Amino acid sequence: MRWICIFGVTIVLAVLCVAGCRDRGGSDDGSLTVCFALQDLETEFWVASHEAITQTLRKKGIRVVERNGNEDANRQLEQIRDAIAQGVDGIVLIPQDGESAVTIVGEANRAGIPIAVFNRPPANRSHPALVVFADNESISEKAMTYMAAEAKKLGGKVKPLIIVGDLGDRNAVARRQGFYNVIEANPDLFEKPIEVPSKWDSTTALANLEAAMQSNSDVGLIFTSSDFLYPQVKAVLESFGKWKPRGEDGHIILGGIDGDTTACRWMRDGYVDATGVQDLYYESEILLEALIAAMEAGEATPEKWMEDPGFALTQANLAERASDMWGCRLQDESADAGQ
Amino acid sequence: MSEINILEFEGISKAFFGMDALKDVSFSLPTGHIVGLVGENGAGKSTLMNILGGVIQPDKGRMLLKGQEYTPRGPGQASAAGIAFIHQELNLFMNLSICDNIFIDRFPKVGKLPFIDKRQARRKTAELLEMVEMDVSPNLLVERLSPGQRQLVEIAKALSIGAEIIIFDEPTTSLTAGETEKLFSIIARLKAAGKSIFYISHNLGNVLELADEIVVIRDGEVMDVDSKQQYTIGRMISKMVGRTIDQMYPPRESSHSDEVALKVDHLSQPGVVKDINFEVRKGEVLGLFGLMGSGRTELARMIFGLDDYGSGQVLVAGRVMEKRSPQKSIASGMAFVTEDRREEGLFMDDTILSNLSIVSIDDYRRRGPVSSLDRQKMSRCAGEVADSLHIKCGRIDKDAVQNLSGGNQQKVVIGKWILTEPSVFIIDEPTRGIDVGAKHEVYSLINELAGKGTGILFVSSELEELMGGCDRIIVMSNGEIQDVFDKAQFDGQTILHAAFKGHKRHSAAREVNSE
Amino acid sequence: MFVRYFLLSENFVLYLSILYFVVLSLFYPHMASTRNLTNVSSNMWPLFALVVGQMFVLIVGGIDLSQTSIMAFVSVIGAMLMTSQLDPVLFENNLLWGTLLAETGGPLGGSVLATPVGMLVMLGVGSLVGLINGVSVAKLKMPPFMVTLVSMMFFSGLAVFATRSENIMHLPASFVAIGRVQAGFISHSFFIALALAVGAYYTLRHTILGQWFYAVGKNMRTSVVSGVPAQKVVILAYVFSGFCAGAASILYSARLEAGRPTLGQDVLLDVIGAAVIGGISLYGGKGKVHWALFGVLFFALLANSLNMMNLSFFTVQIVKGSIILLAAMVDVARNRLVVREAV
Repeated sequence: MRWICIFGVTIVLAVLCVAGCRDRGGSDDGSLTVCFALQDLETEFWVASHEAITQTLRKKGIRVVERNGNEDANRQLEQIRDAIAQGVDGIVLIPQDGESAVTIVGEANRAGIPIAVFNRPPANRSHPALVVFADNESISEKAMTYMAAEAKKLGGKVKPLIIVGDLGDRNAVARRQGFYNVIEANPDLFEKPIEVPSKWDSTTALANLEAAMQSNSDVGLIFTSSDFLYPQVKAVLESFGKWKPRGEDGHIILGGIDGDTTACRWMRDGYVDATGVQDLYYESEILLEALIAAMEAGEATPEKWMEDPGFALTQANLAERASDMWGCRLQDESADAGQ
Repeated sequence: MSEINILEFEGISKAFFGMDALKDVSFSLPTGHIVGLVGENGAGKSTLMNILGGVIQPDKGRMLLKGQEYTPRGPGQASAAGIAFIHQELNLFMNLSICDNIFIDRFPKVGKLPFIDKRQARRKTAELLEMVEMDVSPNLLVERLSPGQRQLVEIAKALSIGAEIIIFDEPTTSLTAGETEKLFSIIARLKAAGKSIFYISHNLGNVLELADEIVVIRDGEVMDVDSKQQYTIGRMISKMVGRTIDQMYPPRESSHSDEVALKVDHLSQPGVVKDINFEVRKGEVLGLFGLMGSGRTELARMIFGLDDYGSGQVLVAGRVMEKRSPQKSIASGMAFVTEDRREEGLFMDDTILSNLSIVSIDDYRRRGPVSSLDRQKMSRCAGEVADSLHIKCGRIDKDAVQNLSGGNQQKVVIGKWILTEPSVFIIDEPTRGIDVGAKHEVYSLINELAGKGTGILFVSSELEELMGGCDRIIVMSNGEIQDVFDKAQFDGQTILHAAFKGHKRHSAAREVNSE
Repeated sequence: MFVRYFLLSENFVLYLSILYFVVLSLFYPHMASTRNLTNVSSNMWPLFALVVGQMFVLIVGGIDLSQTSIMAFVSVIGAMLMTSQLDPVLFENNLLWGTLLAETGGPLGGSVLATPVGMLVMLGVGSLVGLINGVSVAKLKMPPFMVTLVSMMFFSGLAVFATRSENIMHLPASFVAIGRVQAGFISHSFFIALALAVGAYYTLRHTILGQWFYAVGKNMRTSVVSGVPAQKVVILAYVFSGFCAGAASILYSARLEAGRPTLGQDVLLDVIGAAVIGGISLYGGKGKVHWALFGVLFFALLANSLNMMNLSFFTVQIVKGSIILLAAMVDVARNRLVVREAV
């Protein structure tokens, strides 16, 4: 009995202490508060985006209230509702998917709070919002165009393979489309592509890729719909003895999209031929500028869809454009810090 | 001189909340003797044994162990002093082996290393098992043993700690006749080996057979101490309850009609019962006697629709019962008091009211489109029954059944069936584990029910109570009916003889003789 | 004396919730704003619907792990029926494309009947899955944990398979309105939850079936001997749990404005946590509707207050876990007190 009391009192005190030490929600001093609701922090891209967004906001003197929905759309909705009740002035949203984004934007519209959606656009434009999105189709097309040119040099037909993402995510659909645009433009060069589903999950990708490689050992080109799957690609290729840098016999033409540190490192080492880059610094910059402008102007439901054209970092332009890719910048920063 | 008595109680008193549980209890356990301890439930036997085991401390008085003052402060000290308890509910780990159970708290080690010396443990276990006449591997899991064998493991465990005083508390409750006999021979061997023993039981015949001295306790006081030669069961009962044996069974005048309440027709289930035929008439109390394993309980469960049978029929008031289930049996007017009160008869942590009303709950349905429960009517009906049965409790809608004495619990079980106004009452071992006073009340209840025209099938393994309360007795053995006796023909020896027909182990007679 | 009354009261969790709310409001004035209270109440109802259903299964001594999968499955079934527009790019690979599904939506797309019929089908399908669970447990004598674990995996997989992992939008406006937060506490979802609660309360308190639920959970063997139709009672408990999961699916789908094959994947532990905090026993035989309500209230307040505190997701999980542990310990302490009172 005594132990239970002591334990209970300790926990209550701890909770109250945490509660008391934390800054309060809402703004009492006239400065602006923004709720930043993200869906999770699992891949490097989202971690880097999270970093870029929170730092940009703080630099501008805006208080950030963070909410992690942990991949549950309903929880994210509840968090946004709570944040609205708390009296935030604006919302930055990384939604779980395009469909739940529509619902959440509608919720913010009704409350008259400007909302900015990062990278995953709502499934439709029925509710006004500030949206920044990368043109995934054209970015992956750009990367694939370079890879096709490399494939042509080999002479003869090449068997391509694509690791597709969760097709519930529009970005995954667009990336796949960009890949197919190039395949269809070169009917003499490519055989029918092999599709490997990943569901945006690395273990699923690993298992499926392994199976696909087993039955198709003659694959000559691999395109991954996201850079975060490169380590899985490496693991499978190594087990088949095909993880070779450019110039060596048996090199498989390799490309992807996102532009993370792994992609940067392996491009520099010569394993990866091209990677499509979405410029997340640019994206967060223009999105937050638009949001802050709307908050300061008192606009409740601003609408603007902004596109990040992106580019492809290839072995041809690696030297001059590496500094524009966020993955390379992160890598160089950590290299600098290490010195 | 004190070496003659290994243990002496001197003026032990203990009170709970101002109520005396023990008053100035003094007697002794002579070295190498068996002392039988008898008394009704609540008489103070358990309190005394708890004091001996160090679970509670006495308010007054002292205990002398081998002449030294003995003041245990916990069960650990008691077992260190060489006192071991063999409980009614066994304290074994079912999922462990015999060897592990015996050495659970003090495995032999390999030298000083923290490793168990399994070989030594097994060898010692084998020796102990031999002492209790068990021919099984020390590695056998306890869950695979019969209840009797488990008890022997407990005894082996007691021997392994070098116990000199062993207390048996209702050891035969869950044993078969053969196992009981084996237990008794082992107790005799323990005595021969110089161990001193307390034997506590409701089974007075067993006590009379085993003990050297018998101590009778009533209301916390020692009523009678004497050597067994001076005792009869009658004397024990009269000391225990303050009345004589003739008053044990209420007078019964059979006045049954010729109408058949229950008819069992060629009932068979391979391996369990074979071609059972009998009738219970309205107002008749029919006894069903059989030894453990004779199929008597199985038969009762089949008649009630709890278990399946292969062929044959059960008829209630002339109507054949089909597609058997307890629900249908109840709807046809049957009631069934099971032998397992705690697991099958009652919701132990629920109120008396809920327990009483569960079977007859359909009667408290309000008429109307929405069939709601008429709680007032339910309380009223249950209250009337509780009153008429003299169930001793505070409030029936507040008190949990588990806080009642065994006798009152049994009255609740009977009461819930009385509320359905049954025409056939099947009662299996209704007096098991309840004290003599409550037994009397149960017998009176059975008489009363029969008086109202209910046909009663009274299943029991205690022949004496069947002879005291039945109009006819049928005797089962090996799943078959061996014989039927009318009241005029009641004779213990003859009936027992019938019960042993087909029984290969005649030794089982011991259990029955002693009832 | 006051402390003792507080601890022993049946409404202990309610008092605890109020106390928690009052203390936290001192630190976070926003907690007490109308808008926030509206949020808390609207967050409660779907969870409450699930807990009420789960309660019946817990009372009969089982457990229903499949509730959240039933929810997801029912959500996509309902949405497929009711949707008025489907994107061919996303859905042309669907097995049902061209037969039941088309660019103009599902069979009921655009019809006035879409919402009522869709909801009835959702409740019906939920009950049907519950029936399968119940029959497997009661008639086939399989352990509830296994049965519902398997149906959890099966129906969650089926929901993803049926939609190829797509969310289905364009649900009728009248359906979506159910999930809207209304000012004040009176919303459609409140009425749906209220109807469930009243039905459950009446069943448990005032019908014979209710007494049977408790009896079966307290002691199965005694119930059978006493003529309780135990198998039917167990089956009904699972059917009701499935029905409630269907109702919760309506509430969740409406507020997210879509049929989602991954709906409520993380909610199961919240359901069982709220039930246990409310005092519903995992060992069967104990549970009341208002206990479920208090448990859900406490849970919703807890989640809401943790959202207010600007904690990282991981801290939130740790605090949530500690509070559930604390609740369990307080329960132990209360039981000891009760026992002591009884002596």
